[in-house]
Amino acid sequence: MSLGEALPMLDAEERVSGRINYTLNIEAPAMLVGKILRSPVPHARILRVDPSRAQKLAGVGAVLTRADFGSHTGYSGKYGRIFRDQTVVALDKVRFVGDPVAAVAACDEDTALEALSLIDIDYEEIPPVFDETEALTPAAPLVHDPRPEQQPMFSKMIEDLAGGSNLCSHFKLRRGDVEEGFSQADFVFQDTFRSPAVQHVPLEPHVTVAHYAREKLTIWTCTQMPHAIRAQMAELLNLPLARVRVIVETLGGGFGSKGSLRLEPITAFLALKAQSPVKIVLTREEEFVTVCKHPATIRIKTGVMKDGTLVARQVSANFNTGAYSDIGPVVARNGGSAMSGPYRIPHVRIDSCAVWTNIVPAGALRGFGVPQAVWAYESQMDMIAERLGLDPLEFRRKNLLRDRDLFATGEELSDIHFDELLDRAAASIDWSYDDARWLNRTEPKQKTVRRGKGLAMVIKATITPSTSAAALKLNEDGSLNVLTSSVECGQGAKTVLAQIAADAMHMPVRRISVSEPDTDLTPYDQQTSSSRTTYSMGTAIREAASDLKRHILDCAAENLEVSVSDLIIEDSRVMVRGTPQRSLSYGEITRLSNQGNLFGHGAFTTRGGLDLQTGQGIGSVHWHQGAIGCEVEVDIETGKIKILRLSPCVFAGRVVNPRLCELQLEGCAIFGLGQALFEEMAYGEHGQLLNANLSDYNIPSFADVPLKLDASALEHAGSEELHGIGETLLPPVMAAIGNALYNAAGVRIQELPLSAERVLRELSRANMTRRE
Amino acid sequence: MKQIIKLKVNGSMEEKAVHTHHTLLEVLRSEYKLFGAREGCGIGMCGACTVLLDGQPMSSCILLAALAEGKEITTIEGLSDPGKLHPIQQAFIDHNAFQCSYCTPGFILSAKSLLAENPAPTVEQIRTYLAGNLCRCGSYYKIQEAVLDAAARLRGEKQNPQLP
Repeated sequence: MSLGEALPMLDAEERVSGRINYTLNIEAPAMLVGKILRSPVPHARILRVDPSRAQKLAGVGAVLTRADFGSHTGYSGKYGRIFRDQTVVALDKVRFVGDPVAAVAACDEDTALEALSLIDIDYEEIPPVFDETEALTPAAPLVHDPRPEQQPMFSKMIEDLAGGSNLCSHFKLRRGDVEEGFSQADFVFQDTFRSPAVQHVPLEPHVTVAHYAREKLTIWTCTQMPHAIRAQMAELLNLPLARVRVIVETLGGGFGSKGSLRLEPITAFLALKAQSPVKIVLTREEEFVTVCKHPATIRIKTGVMKDGTLVARQVSANFNTGAYSDIGPVVARNGGSAMSGPYRIPHVRIDSCAVWTNIVPAGALRGFGVPQAVWAYESQMDMIAERLGLDPLEFRRKNLLRDRDLFATGEELSDIHFDELLDRAAASIDWSYDDARWLNRTEPKQKTVRRGKGLAMVIKATITPSTSAAALKLNEDGSLNVLTSSVECGQGAKTVLAQIAADAMHMPVRRISVSEPDTDLTPYDQQTSSSRTTYSMGTAIREAASDLKRHILDCAAENLEVSVSDLIIEDSRVMVRGTPQRSLSYGEITRLSNQGNLFGHGAFTTRGGLDLQTGQGIGSVHWHQGAIGCEVEVDIETGKIKILRLSPCVFAGRVVNPRLCELQLEGCAIFGLGQALFEEMAYGEHGQLLNANLSDYNIPSFADVPLKLDASALEHAGSEELHGIGETLLPPVMAAIGNALYNAAGVRIQELPLSAERVLRELSRANMTRRE
Repeated sequence: MKQIIKLKVNGSMEEKAVHTHHTLLEVLRSEYKLFGAREGCGIGMCGACTVLLDGQPMSSCILLAALAEGKEITTIEGLSDPGKLHPIQQAFIDHNAFQCSYCTPGFILSAKSLLAENPAPTVEQIRTYLAGNLCRCGSYYKIQEAVLDAAARLRGEKQNPQLP
């Protein structure tokens, strides 16, 4: 009985004693320190790069510049998950403040920094564009010209477009006839919502150590995607996959930031050039200019009947992917495909675009486009409820998706639990209809601190299709190695996967060891993201266990001289049905096999995909579902919001480890709380980041989290389906708080964050209007 | 420029030649290979590099190593021997008070200092004292429980009555 058990993390003792290994601790003999020179301007042509003074400095092993790339060197230096729009160092142009221009490897940090100061660069500035809406106007300067080449493997997922524009990608969803829907509707409401850039701030920064020897690259790196890193590095270095080895230690947090290529290219080319191992550790300031959440402007038009029945929705969303597309087109697609929310809407038209600009590149961040989407549609749900004079709870309930309904993607839904989730969220804050400000008939109190409650819901895809593979190695003492490339980010992947293996193999967790990802040794996994590890890798491990048990049973049958059908497996042993004294342990069977050890292999691929022109198809192998209730207190003299109660609940199918699940749910809520209340990357007028440090950019501390947080997981009796829960509850936090703010103080804010300054400004504006 | 300094780290006194501008964190990591203190922000805001200086929590990322001379420096590695955890560490395990655990040594050392000053803190006091340690994974509720429980254990009680 290891499934459902609240085991502590298997490596807990190393974690509390400070002895767990992070990539940050990796050292190699004769290792050099790498440092990166970054652009001080947002958009410029590079006229001259002169590294000669830096190269002459004692202690410098290599200086990497654009001269190391191009046809004469055999290395293009161009990469990118979807578009090859990024370069190891800038070749012709820089595109944002912080863009890497050159790099140095030297004997120590001081020497490397001095060498950076000796590299001479001449820039010719060109007009920049920062805003996603402005970037799409015809007069906007082009961030990429010509349009970068698209990677063929994404051609089925992302439509390639014509050049001559900053439009990077355009996801379309077409269902029903949205114009017809609007003409049937009693009311049509159009509102616009904005989310700013925010940073992941994993406390462990990005770190990469690269070593190139005998035409083989070995990299230790903080990544959530070891195999994707291997493939892209092999392409950049013209090496076969087998000659790139990616090793990943436990991460000090990732939250999506550690996915695409980051430091790996620059570190690897420095190591190649210096003929020595090189290590780069980003400073916190550099973290902020490496990747972020997409700023997004989302316009929603919703048609509704007088009784609250939703009939049509049109969405136009622009996700600002910054200077480089990274995984932005897939973020825009994922956010876009979920913009009808957990509601039945017969006519839907969605256009969700990624747009290039001259700010920090945006990539995956916990929730993957859905936080921006939910902020928009769940805020609008309450605004519509008010305009129609409806209870926002009943308005939602009237339109909720249920089993056998068709989603906006046209797929039939099953295992849908929104009714129960909404009930739980409402009950957790004792919601009653007069909690809606517009339904409350009592006289408003003149107190300066006011209370309000809010609700919000979420539907979210997990990346589909996707593939995970696992191998199990049974040793001669009967212990088991689980070989997997799933990355431990603190979510407890290793523990949960050990529990799944223990359950499938009928053996205790303490006899199991789960590997670190090492692409030389561990089987393929697409990525540790999208809340997919427990489900996808868990299923691959179950498949591998079936395979291994077949070998075990065959070997046992031969040695016990019975047929396989007469055997049963129990407690790490195989026994003859009815005569348990005739049995063999896993260890005995392995020894009798004369193979040294026994292997089981398993792979799991989910199927699906959406049509490029209509967004119809299978958007997700199963849909992640959640709801949040919250109560806030707003001080109308300071604008400060205090969260009193926050109750996130998620559908989890079957929970593998209740303690780790709870940590993930609480973590999601707190991560969302930061984005709701204060997190925002602030840019100056020249595109320079103004708050790239943890003094000016705050993340939630003990001082910010509510006294009470009631996270709960809804389990489905008898379900064996494991639902990922690592992200689902982040997206609805912002709208739940925004809705509660409105009910408390009567100000509707459509741009995040709901900072005290912004709340106060809106309150005084509302007061002025009232007086007039 | 290097300077010879005498540091007392986890009970043992040693002379080290260190760059005058290097921080205690750099010296602990590069000279002592003590990896439990980690840089998170580099400006003393996140608490991931916390060590105890004469029992007081200190951000080692903004303290020049030379200024730690003459003080008792305790890192997470000095809190317990392998296989025999400090009651605070054990409480962190029992309450699963971490996820990625990058911040954990800092929280545990700050908690140790808190409990030395105040053996029976309230929830409010714990939250205020530990507000300078950041956990991006958001394990705050479990940390709060672990510290309450550790306080009870250190007082010789079995179970803290304030725990759920």
